[in-house]
Amino acid sequence: MTTASSAARSSAQASDPFSIPFDERIKEALDNKTLKIAIDRTTNNARDKRAAAVAAWPGFAEARTLGKSIKQHVIDHLDHYLVEFEANALRSGAKVHWASTSDEACAIVIDLCRKAGAKSVTRAKSMLGEEIGLPHALEDAGITRVETDLAEHIVQLAHDRPSHIIWPALHRTREEVAELFRANHHKPQNSDDIESMVASAREELRGRFLAADVGISGANFLIADSGAICTVTNEGNAELTTTIPRVHIVTAGIEKLVPSLSHAMVLLRLLVRSATGADLTQYTTFHCGPKRRGDRDGPEEFHIVLVDNGRTKMRNEGLADMLRCLRCGACMNHCVVFRQIGGHAYGGAYPGPMGSVMTPIFNGLEKSHDLPQACTLNGSCQEVCPVDIPLPTLLRGWREKSWREGLEPQIVRQSLGFWAFGARHPFLYHIGTRLAVRGMRLFAKGGWIRSLPLASGWTRHRDFPKPAPRTFMEEWNQQQRLKAKG
Amino acid sequence: MSARELILSALRQGNTATAAGEPNDAGAIAAAADALIADLSLGRPRLGEGSLPMLFERQITSPKVAASLDKAASLADVPRAVDIYLTTHGLAREIALQPEPALTAMDWSGYHLHEEVKSDTIVAVGKALWGIAETGTLVFHSGPHSPTLFDFFPLHHLVVIEASRILGYLEDYVAASMGQPVPRNVNFVTGASGTTDIEGTLVRGAHGPRFLHVILVEDS
Repeated sequence: MTTASSAARSSAQASDPFSIPFDERIKEALDNKTLKIAIDRTTNNARDKRAAAVAAWPGFAEARTLGKSIKQHVIDHLDHYLVEFEANALRSGAKVHWASTSDEACAIVIDLCRKAGAKSVTRAKSMLGEEIGLPHALEDAGITRVETDLAEHIVQLAHDRPSHIIWPALHRTREEVAELFRANHHKPQNSDDIESMVASAREELRGRFLAADVGISGANFLIADSGAICTVTNEGNAELTTTIPRVHIVTAGIEKLVPSLSHAMVLLRLLVRSATGADLTQYTTFHCGPKRRGDRDGPEEFHIVLVDNGRTKMRNEGLADMLRCLRCGACMNHCVVFRQIGGHAYGGAYPGPMGSVMTPIFNGLEKSHDLPQACTLNGSCQEVCPVDIPLPTLLRGWREKSWREGLEPQIVRQSLGFWAFGARHPFLYHIGTRLAVRGMRLFAKGGWIRSLPLASGWTRHRDFPKPAPRTFMEEWNQQQRLKAKG
Repeated sequence: MSARELILSALRQGNTATAAGEPNDAGAIAAAADALIADLSLGRPRLGEGSLPMLFERQITSPKVAASLDKAASLADVPRAVDIYLTTHGLAREIALQPEPALTAMDWSGYHLHEEVKSDTIVAVGKALWGIAETGTLVFHSGPHSPTLFDFFPLHHLVVIEASRILGYLEDYVAASMGQPVPRNVNFVTGASGTTDIEGTLVRGAHGPRFLHVILVEDS
């Protein structure tokens, strides 16, 4: 485990990761010897399973187009579907709350917990909860928070932040988890195989499920024509969280709507295959209203908090495509940058390509303008996105905005300005490249350059190829001259 | 302005900016939503050849879902099928029985029955409302005869499903439940509880049942 002294500078645990510069966050990730192993173990597995699931469905591409159209239709008519959902949810006996900001959303949840006299709440993993800072808000309110998803339980014990939207504890190796459980569980595992560890967590959390006064979940879908919400999970912790306590609170982003159950089915197939490669997760549960008369279990109160937190802004200001996101995590599993640095270095609640598009909305571009730059624009994120979000285009949009707003470092602006001047003056440009090529050759030994002034950032880690004796333009012009002579 | 008004008015302002000229009344929106799923085959993989119970069996016992399955000729044979499972696994003849009339009407002599499921229940026997062949899914509706926790508390979950209750696609469930009152919970159960949270390795029995065993009743 990380010691308290290093925790202050660790992007995995810092309360404001953006207080640490992005370069340092990346360095920390790359210097962590076990992190790359941990990332590979989970993401390689996820990519293989997704690929197999997609290959097994010849019509996947058509379904993906349909899924995209369904989400786009909802985003285009979001006001209509919100009103319809609200009316149906109220009719089913649910209470519906609206929050414009993350603070408002947390305040509503805390208030509901207080009214319920809650000392202890169980939580089923929800990315929206992470986005709005609900874990901290509950702690600040003095309410005991029990994370019930296995990965979130690990993250809570380690005082980490989640590092992936599907596998929040992806950054921890099994050896580290074993250590955590031994230090924290009442009945730790006898041996450090994963099965024993899972059994120990099951035992540890059983009592906590029964003792909770309030259960808090997110929602993968909000079904407009019934007012039901849908959760998609593997472990069964969500249902124990939403069924046992007297009060069930749902926090959901307003973009989670679908017109009907049939529309949800199409998106479920795309979501689950893209996330885990299964056809359907173990538990797909629709929750509609509180327990009915005669029901033997279920909550007496059911609250749904609809959260904007920047979504209307995204829709109206050029990021509407991003609202299609199903939160499957495929983009990060396939991202060459994420697979090197993991989730913590990104700093926000959502890492990887989708996180780099959304973090500037939640945390401001000034803090996060580096994220859209941390991308090779190779396009694999869009390729594997089940709803075809043009992530590279959206990232480029942030790069342009960051440039316009003067957020890029002075050295970058000056270098680009210098280059732009050259590009507009070809004569000077060609003189410059001729000099550069000849200068660089002076540093070469045996075809490679081991160290080069002004480019130590490159040559510290890898050699630079020795340039050809002349520039392309010199070569081209000479050949043209030879041809002319015939 | 309340948060509700703020959100809705921001969205409506966006509408006029982006979708000028498009019909925006409830009828037109509903028609557009229906048109999207007019051809259901676009959004789903095609089922293989064979009867629905056969396809269901193939899917639910595939490595992806990994439940075990046994068959009973009729509902009356269910207690014997349960006994075979208990004997095979060295379990006592003590079960929590879902308070579903079709189950409680069976002859359970020789069994120690509990009407309620507890957090430390070892074996529970329940009855699914529907089965879905496409995904190998068991569907439960919460209600007086079907408490939700029956699907989540026990270590071994034994589920009776009649062959006649097996549907093809997920959308067939939507059609079958159309017009009926929506319960607090609709539970789609597709295999025993599992987690891949530690290094992506699948382990069964995370919080819900570790074992899911299906008893397919062929004649009902």
